[in-house]
Amino acid sequence: MTPADDRLKALFAQSQPPARDPAFQAAVLERLARRRWLQDLAFLAGLSAVGALALWALWPVLQPVLKAVSGPLAPGAAALAAALSAVAILGGLGDRAHAVES
Amino acid sequence: MNLQGLDESLVAAAQAGSSEAFSRLVERHQQALRAFLRRACGDWALADDLAQETFLAAWPRIGRLKAGASVRAWLCGIAYRKHLTARRSAGRSRARDAAYEAERTSPAPGALDDRLALETAMAELPADQRACVALCLAADFSHAEAAEALDLPLGTVKSHVARGRARLLVALGVTDDPC
Repeated sequence: MTPADDRLKALFAQSQPPARDPAFQAAVLERLARRRWLQDLAFLAGLSAVGALALWALWPVLQPVLKAVSGPLAPGAAALAAALSAVAILGGLGDRAHAVES
Repeated sequence: MNLQGLDESLVAAAQAGSSEAFSRLVERHQQALRAFLRRACGDWALADDLAQETFLAAWPRIGRLKAGASVRAWLCGIAYRKHLTARRSAGRSRARDAAYEAERTSPAPGALDDRLALETAMAELPADQRACVALCLAADFSHAEAAEALDLPLGTVKSHVARGRARLLVALGVTDDPC
C-alpha cells in the first residue's frame, strides 16, 4: 500500500459510522416487526374474506341443514359455549396473575 | 469461533427463523453497510435509509444466501441495487439540484479541506466506479469480492478502481509515489 492509499483510507475513515449503533439496530427491527405485522394482518384479512365468501356461496345448502339440527343441538351448543368462555376467562386471569407475580 | 464462522452460524439460525440471530447480523454489519452507502451515494441520511431498506429486503431473502458466502458482500450487493433504484427515481430532482448548484458560486479549491475535496471528487465519479472505489479502497474488499457484490465483471472492477483512484488522487493533489 502506498502513502497515497493510506491518505485515501484515512480520509474515507472519517465517514465511518459507529461500530455499534443501538438506535439504528432498533429502527431496523421495529420496521421489520411492523412489516411482519402488516403481512400477518393481510393474511388474516384474506383468510376472513375467503371464509366469508365460502359461507355466502354455501349458505343455500347450509341453511336447511342448520335449521334441521339447531333445535336438538341448541342446549349442547349453549353449554359448550359457556364452558369455552369460562376456560378462556379463567385462563386469561391466570396468565395475568402470573405476569404480575413475575 | 472466527468471525466468518460466527456469521455462518448466525445466518443458519436466521434461515431457521431466528429474528435474534438476524438482529446480531444487523449489529455486526451495519457499520460496513452504512459506510459503503455513505461513500456510494454521498448523502448520509439517504444512506442510512437505504441501509435500513437493505436489511428489510435481506430478511425474507436470507434463505437464498449460500453457505459460506460473505454476508457483508451480499448485503452490499442488495444495497448497491437499492442505491441505483433510488438514483433513478430521484433523477429529476437531482437534475434540478445540479442546476441550482451550477448557478451558485463555487468556493475556491483552496477553501475546501481534504474531506470535502474527496467527497466532491467521489460525487463526480460514475455510480459503478464510485461503488468499486467505496468497496475496494475504503472497505478493503478484494476485487473479486467487489465484482461479486456489484455483479460486475472482474476486469471492469479493476479498471474502475484504478481510474477512480487516479481521479481522487488528482483531486486531492496527491502524487502517487510508491513506498
